[in-house]
Amino acid sequence: MRRNVVLIGLSILILAFGFVMFSGCAKKVVKEAAEEKTTTVQKEAAPAAPAAPAETEEQRLAREKALREAALKEQQEKERMLAEQKAKEALAAAIAEIKDIHFDFDKYDLKPEARDMLKKLADILLAEKTATVLIEGHCDERGTVEYNLALGEKRALSAMKYLVSLGVEKERIKTISYGKERPLDPRHNEEAWAKNRRAHFVVTVK
Amino acid sequence: MRDKLRVVSFVLVVLFVSLLPVYGKVYIDIDSPTIQKFPIAVADFKNLGQAPDRENLSAWFADRLGNALQLTGFFNVIQRKTFFEDPVKSGITAETIQFSDWTVIGAESLIKGGFQLNGSDLTVEFRLFDVVQGRLLTGKRYTGKPGDREEMVLRFAEEVLLQLTGERGVFDTKVAFAGKEGNLSEIYTVNFDGSGLKKLTNFRSLTLLPRWSPDGREMTFTSYRDGNPDVYLLDLISGKVRKLLEFSGLNLASSWSPQGRKILLTLSKGGSHEIYTMDLNHGTATRVTSNYSINVSPVWSPDGKRIAFVSDRGGSPQIYIMDADGSNQRRLTYQGNYNTSPAWAPKGGRIAFEGMVGGTFQVFVIDEDGGNLRQLTSSGRNESPSWSPDSRYLVYTSRLNGRHRLCVMNANGSNVRILHEGMGEYMNASWSPHLKLY
Repeated sequence: MRRNVVLIGLSILILAFGFVMFSGCAKKVVKEAAEEKTTTVQKEAAPAAPAAPAETEEQRLAREKALREAALKEQQEKERMLAEQKAKEALAAAIAEIKDIHFDFDKYDLKPEARDMLKKLADILLAEKTATVLIEGHCDERGTVEYNLALGEKRALSAMKYLVSLGVEKERIKTISYGKERPLDPRHNEEAWAKNRRAHFVVTVK
Repeated sequence: MRDKLRVVSFVLVVLFVSLLPVYGKVYIDIDSPTIQKFPIAVADFKNLGQAPDRENLSAWFADRLGNALQLTGFFNVIQRKTFFEDPVKSGITAETIQFSDWTVIGAESLIKGGFQLNGSDLTVEFRLFDVVQGRLLTGKRYTGKPGDREEMVLRFAEEVLLQLTGERGVFDTKVAFAGKEGNLSEIYTVNFDGSGLKKLTNFRSLTLLPRWSPDGREMTFTSYRDGNPDVYLLDLISGKVRKLLEFSGLNLASSWSPQGRKILLTLSKGGSHEIYTMDLNHGTATRVTSNYSINVSPVWSPDGKRIAFVSDRGGSPQIYIMDADGSNQRRLTYQGNYNTSPAWAPKGGRIAFEGMVGGTFQVFVIDEDGGNLRQLTSSGRNESPSWSPDSRYLVYTSRLNGRHRLCVMNANGSNVRILHEGMGEYMNASWSPHLKLY
């Protein structure tokens, strides 16, 4: 008889252990801390197997709560990304509005329409603090390589100085001159020359 | 550079024997403004050896020598088909030449020669005669390999020029330029006669402004290879390139000092375009100009005491001259609204430049005191003049009817010839010093 009791006790232990193992497997989603807790419970009350489902219920509630929170977070993230996307698009649209500014032959002073364009650019740079700009100065094909390299740089520097006067930090502006070497329009006439005497802006946002 | 190696080996095997002393008479005064082309005949060379002339060297030597002399712009090389002499009966020495056969076709000078192929050795004799006086002016004998024959021809052409003009010519010079295709340009050189095109850079970028050192062993240029226009130094002997200057903004090396390893720069690191000098042995740049306007394209006078440069301080680009320390700045050009690209004649006195006239650009020359302005080119667009080391010629870039070319003319604007064509665009022509190629 005593031997039977031992046997029954052993069976219960094995069953309980098996159950715990099983439920452990079933709750793969639950974090490690919860698993540890289950193990402790099992150790203390090995013969009292029915206690286990109550703990599972508690965990289920916690899990559901976590899921709800995750969903909420996801939603918020989605909304945030959408807003960010919209802002990005708006920024990209604003940047796309920035066109080349043009100069008279052998001149590097800014025309009124060039100043208007630079104001738009300054607004972008003042609103988006991660944005930087590269100003490329270009010339028409007339004159020497060297003189036009200098003239192109003067044009880029004129644009830079105006941006700085509008409050943009100098460190966010770089200039480079390509002189007459990178024409937009390769033809040799007044129309092409007017297009080629320009400062071009490359805005980069991090 | 391979050329040098070849030259050294060539010099070692060449035995050259002067057959007669040099005479001092100048036959062609090439400084005369009304120079007449000097009529010269170059006869077929004689095969003096036993080996058959399979490559027709007989005609080759006559053609090449005639061509080299023609390129100088000082000669009228008489066509061989008009020759009167019976080549079978005549020899290559004064006693065996009937000089009346040559005076009758208008020749004043005659070149005769002979060659001998001996295994892998080639021996060539050249003789220059004064036809009117019926005497030998100079003779040379060269021994080398058949592959050295081009250099033999040029060495003798130099002798001919020395005898007849008192100057050795520019046969051992090259012209460097930036050749552009699309938005990319590289540095190239060609020989004085347009042969031997060589690409010196392969940066696949915008690479500009080649400038020779006075000894012809180094070259500076500007390249956007690393994004910014930086100055590089190329060792033409080893082929090694190193970056010399990378200040923020423009880095342009415009010219070398005629004396030593000093260069003139345009830098915009301080926010304005100023001229600096830099000693390459010490590496320090010293500012020469201080002016908010554009200051660019500086060149030294041959004695190094003055600098010509371009500035727009008066409202349009004009050429100015100052003392080498930056003092005494004064304007040189007053005619026209756009004068740039000064090039000081190596023998002094004159400055070539490009100026805008009739909506396009032409090459001009002006005395260094501002007098005697002359327009040298008139058709198409002609820019970026550079003097030959003897100040007799100007190389320049040209565009005519949509075709881009590198051209050479005599310093008075005559005798225009195409040095090279076929590239998208030619920029920044720069004539080398004497390179002692052979």
